[in-house]
Amino acid sequence: MIASGTSRSWAGVVRRLPRWPVALAAGVLALAAPWLGFGSDVLRQVVLVAILALVISGLNLSWGYAGELALGQVAMYAVGAYVGAVLTMHDIDLALALPASAAAAVVVGVISGAPGIRLGGWGLAMSSFFLVLLVPDAAEIFEPETGGLNGLSGIPQAKLFGTELGETGFYLLVIGCLVVWLAVMRNIVTSRQGGLLRVLRQSGVLAASLGIGVSSAKLKAYALGAIPAGVAGCLFALLDGFIAPDYFGLTLMIAIIAGSVLGGSESVYGCVVGAALLQLGPMQVTAFEKYALVAFGAFLVVGGVFFSGGITGLISRGLRLLSRRRAVAAAGDRRPAVPSEMDPIPGELLEVRALVKDFGGSRAVDDLSLIAPAGQVTGLIGANGSGKTTLLNIISGFYTPTSGIVAIGGSELAGSGPHQRARRGVARTFQTPLIPASSTVAEVVASARLRRHHCGLIATILRLPAYRRIRRADRAASVRALGVLGIAHLADEPASSLALGTRRLVEVARALAAEPAVLLLDEPASGLDEQEVADLAGVIRRLRDAGATVLLVEHNFALMCAVSDRIHVLESGRLIAKGTPEEVQHDPAVIESYLGQLADVAPETGPDALEVAVSGNRADSSPGAGND
Amino acid sequence: MLTIWSGLAVGAIYVLVAIGFNIMFVASDTFNFAQPQYLMLGTFVSYTIVVSLGMPLVVALVVGGVMGFAVGVLEDWTAIRPLSGTGVHGELVTTVGWSVIMQGCVLLLWGSAPHRIPGAGSDSVVTLLGGRLSVNDLVLIALAVGLSFGTHYWFTHSKLGIAGLAASEDRQAAMIRGINVNRLSTGACAVAGALLGSLGAVVGPKTFAVFTLGSILVLKAFVALAVGGFGSFKGALIGGFVVGVVEALVGRYLGTEFANLAVFGVLIGVLLLRPQGLFGQRRERVV
Repeated sequence: MIASGTSRSWAGVVRRLPRWPVALAAGVLALAAPWLGFGSDVLRQVVLVAILALVISGLNLSWGYAGELALGQVAMYAVGAYVGAVLTMHDIDLALALPASAAAAVVVGVISGAPGIRLGGWGLAMSSFFLVLLVPDAAEIFEPETGGLNGLSGIPQAKLFGTELGETGFYLLVIGCLVVWLAVMRNIVTSRQGGLLRVLRQSGVLAASLGIGVSSAKLKAYALGAIPAGVAGCLFALLDGFIAPDYFGLTLMIAIIAGSVLGGSESVYGCVVGAALLQLGPMQVTAFEKYALVAFGAFLVVGGVFFSGGITGLISRGLRLLSRRRAVAAAGDRRPAVPSEMDPIPGELLEVRALVKDFGGSRAVDDLSLIAPAGQVTGLIGANGSGKTTLLNIISGFYTPTSGIVAIGGSELAGSGPHQRARRGVARTFQTPLIPASSTVAEVVASARLRRHHCGLIATILRLPAYRRIRRADRAASVRALGVLGIAHLADEPASSLALGTRRLVEVARALAAEPAVLLLDEPASGLDEQEVADLAGVIRRLRDAGATVLLVEHNFALMCAVSDRIHVLESGRLIAKGTPEEVQHDPAVIESYLGQLADVAPETGPDALEVAVSGNRADSSPGAGND
Repeated sequence: MLTIWSGLAVGAIYVLVAIGFNIMFVASDTFNFAQPQYLMLGTFVSYTIVVSLGMPLVVALVVGGVMGFAVGVLEDWTAIRPLSGTGVHGELVTTVGWSVIMQGCVLLLWGSAPHRIPGAGSDSVVTLLGGRLSVNDLVLIALAVGLSFGTHYWFTHSKLGIAGLAASEDRQAAMIRGINVNRLSTGACAVAGALLGSLGAVVGPKTFAVFTLGSILVLKAFVALAVGGFGSFKGALIGGFVVGVVEALVGRYLGTEFANLAVFGVLIGVLLLRPQGLFGQRRERVV
């Protein structure tokens, strides 16, 4: 394994230190509090903080990590509370009532999230918000069980495994629930499941192109986020033996969002900080009276503008800044790392036959046929708007063609969506690299393996041997893919901070790690400097030699000629020429339509072609410039 | 018919708020959670002017508009512009924050008791198509129809409106074209604020001046927008009326506790069958 050794300053070391021992110690300390001489009013505040932290933590999972604005937390909390209360009143043991509350909350979480499958951002935010508005109505509709708007009182003391929990017992139960949940959440977000959530947050397109079923991944995020809310609801109902619908209102929802933002939405332990701030601050004031409302609003505005990562985010950002200095120095000596040997890539034949795609009235792809055999680089050039990217999007399943066929290895791929195409072996890079924030390079590359090498949630949470095995394999595979591209030494760097050229290489590595049957490269050279383009050419040739099927879309004609076995030229969605680079360069139609003057300085094919064009006329990598 | 008229009158309020949402949405691609609070502020301003000071309604319209404008500029500067172009949903938190601040300020200045405001046409009642409704309700419905067509026309025909469309479509491309997207966003926030601030004088008689008005309206108006389609002013009109009428009919025949549930049902139904809303446009390009 390649040593990470890029940042070894003390801050870097502190940043990398696992935080869970500290958190666990704090948890044990909290559990010991009843014997440390704290009064019951203090313990009650701790319980309230812990319950609120559970609710916020669920929001952090679905919003902070998965990026879904599913804000129905209060509804899930309320359902958990009512289910817990009603079951306890029917003398049902907590060992059953607690899981039942969580399950009921999961049902509500999935229902409130369902619109999010078709609808991102604010649409989901509002429809899940709306659910909160329904809490009092639901309480009224089910009045015999819920006590309607007057609330439900006389909930008996909690019994766990037949024994009545006293004040101390209940305290231990609440803190225990929080500690256990935070451990579960920590194990989820630091695992490849956490990587999946981050991919989802970055872009649904990216997730689908990695073979992830976006809908089911989103539903999973909503369901996971609902669990702690349900548990918290049940605990809250038992705390005072009384619940009423007006408690579960918009004000509480806003407080929960505030707690999430202030503690840091993308953090495991931030929820405790946020909950403590709110519980000991604004929530002490009854129903946010008078100035509290203004102060609270100002708090949200200031917090939202300045601490987007919350208080825990500030701390880790500070540590990262301190350790950055060393990291930058290390990245600066980008040694010409010797790329490691490439494993054979079993590419398959890609065929496109008679493809047509209409957008409204305009025909973007018109009766296009081409084949890309394994072990060859098939080039695709054409002016902007000639249909290159549309073709890639059809092949990777993002567009449904109006008519025509796409086949891989002789089998037709009619009607399958992007994630199914990805599982069939279509891997791609993007014009603008899609790299999830707050992931290391190795994690980004490993995200391509999420689907092909599945690891269950239970195995992940419990860190079973199956999980550890897959984790090792993930690491090995991503280091190998990075090694092939000569960037294995960057494996532990934060991926989104890399230079554009390096991010493109990371995308290629990710595509490689998917063990692709077909590799689609969408303008990989745009924005790269000369050296990077030359490096990229080497990488593409080695991919070809390893047996990959490469379909390359590129404006850089010199690069195209240097690496392609056959080139296809598109104009207004039609194929106007195809052949070897030599043939295409001298094709009158191509010169007319695409190359313009560039043909006069048309370089020789072969490796030095690249040198000529790169040092000669860089501006001509965009076709428009060649025409004037 | 009585139920339908009252549904349309309430729906008209949703339409007005939805138009406010849309102005922000179209011009700066932002969803301003605090939008309905401007209407709430407007109702209190008109209460003070019409009831406490005994001045004519026109003064309330003007003062409400000016206040809405000023608060809108302030909100954009503090809560929206610092986050614009960052691509994350930061404004979710900050505009909610503004919403809470506005509510808190009104609570401080006017207290929590609801105030009655006399309507335009001094509460007289007319009979139309077999149903009775107040003149003020009629004005509300007419305003909703007129304003939605007016804003639609303005956004598709005026230079500034088209600039707004361009800015929300592609912020950077609009900047390169010489559009000052920051000023546009401030302008949109101020105009939407002024519009709703002045409309408080017309809405107040229907809803009373009460500080929780905004929290109730925000979700209903959002549903109206989701049903009609984001960014579509005709959609806001239809969506608002649909929500108002569904609410009124279900409340009348099934019981008020089912009204919200029915609206939620409409929302989920529309989103599942036609996620872009009735009049919304779908963007095809994904990569």
